[in-house]
Amino acid sequence: MNFRTQQAANRRKTIGLLMGMGVLVWLVAFAALTYFGQTTTAIVPIAVGIALVSVWGSYYGADKLVLTMTGAKLIQESDNPKLFGLIQEVTIASGLPMPKVAVVVDSAPNAFATGRNQDHALIAFTTGILDAMDRDQLQGVIAHEMAHIANRDTLVSAVAATTAGAIAILSDMLTRMMWFGGGRDRDRNNNGNPIVLVASLVILILAPLAAMLLKSAISRKRESLADATAVAFTRNPAGLRSALEVLAADSTVVQQKSNSIAHIWIESPLDGKSVSKLFSTHPPIQERINVLKAMESLS
Amino acid sequence: MTTTLIVLGVIALAILFFVAQYNRLIRLNISVNEAWAQIEVQLKRRADLIPNLVETVKGYAKHEQSTFDAVVAARAKATSATTVADTAAADGMVTQALRGLLAVAEAYPDLKASTNFLSLQEELSTTENKVAFSRQFYNDNVRSLNTAVKTVPTNFFAGFAKVTEREFYEVEDPQDRKAPNVKF
Repeated sequence: MNFRTQQAANRRKTIGLLMGMGVLVWLVAFAALTYFGQTTTAIVPIAVGIALVSVWGSYYGADKLVLTMTGAKLIQESDNPKLFGLIQEVTIASGLPMPKVAVVVDSAPNAFATGRNQDHALIAFTTGILDAMDRDQLQGVIAHEMAHIANRDTLVSAVAATTAGAIAILSDMLTRMMWFGGGRDRDRNNNGNPIVLVASLVILILAPLAAMLLKSAISRKRESLADATAVAFTRNPAGLRSALEVLAADSTVVQQKSNSIAHIWIESPLDGKSVSKLFSTHPPIQERINVLKAMESLS
Repeated sequence: MTTTLIVLGVIALAILFFVAQYNRLIRLNISVNEAWAQIEVQLKRRADLIPNLVETVKGYAKHEQSTFDAVVAARAKATSATTVADTAAADGMVTQALRGLLAVAEAYPDLKASTNFLSLQEELSTTENKVAFSRQFYNDNVRSLNTAVKTVPTNFFAGFAKVTEREFYEVEDPQDRKAPNVKF
């Protein structure tokens, strides 16, 4: 598979997963209505509203917020001309504007990109990655981060986080209602089919879990897409491949202040902690290396 | 009454379609021009680096006059080129000549250790990459434009928009590191 078919396949899968999210919200709303009756009609817009405000607030301030959360410091061209040279190379290859650049003082090699659009983009590197990698490897990492910017992954993950958040809030509110007074309403609409009622209850309990799984799946697809787009920029899969090998060989992880931004790093800082592949935000690094190797062998 | 509305609607749709095709061609053409400007910027930056680099190498390696001459000649040709084909040919020559110069430098340990040379070398490699990437970006844009000029429906509007096929930027260099690694 070359990078163009990779890109197309990943985009298709992201759309499918986002549609899955939509169906899930609809299912939860439906279950709420059957289980609790008309009194819950107002709850759906409230939950969606809360999720929208919290997630989109952070989406608009993504570049500034993430700086505070990771402790990254903005740097100027004079601070690291070599790094700026490398980033300029990738901006020329991608046709994107020059992003802001930041450095995190941390010996674990890692990097991330954020910002709501191309003009508010920020890419950050740990001091560890700048020390550990050579020119071609760093170029691959930069291309991967710029690919996230080009593919508007901050937007995609904000959409995913909003729906997952809304579902979590919704099912939380409804579970509480079951204990406090929800019963009365149920008595009044007693003519409901018991199978439908049980099914609704199951949906309400399982929905947050399903939403989390979908969110992680979307994140994994965006990582694969960024790898493919990075190759489209540099036409050099070997650089990113050997960069990922360096990351795979290194066992140190970034000293995270918050798990909520784990998905933005090029290598997940939560690796090993996650329960299974289904919950992780990144595809297994060996899998990513193999895909890039396959692209190399085409040349 | 209804027939008039339908006719008007069809005309409005046709105009919208026409505008969209026309604008697409113009946009593609502008992208190619911008990509070309980027190539020129990067080639100029490389040309500006050369005198300094040659002087630095000369300070340590006085007896390599033929190499220096080759670099200076290639640079002169590159700065005077105007057409796409000429610029591309001169670009290839400069890349070759610079490679020769760096190979000469390998034989002089003092030169290789000097900080001035090291920073020039770093600047040269990033500039070489920028040249290569701007070339790649230009060719990608030319490919989109040429496809639009040749395929339905945009091909019907190409004449009206005064947009024609553009020339690819092809550098003759058997050793080119940036030869496409990936097949399309």
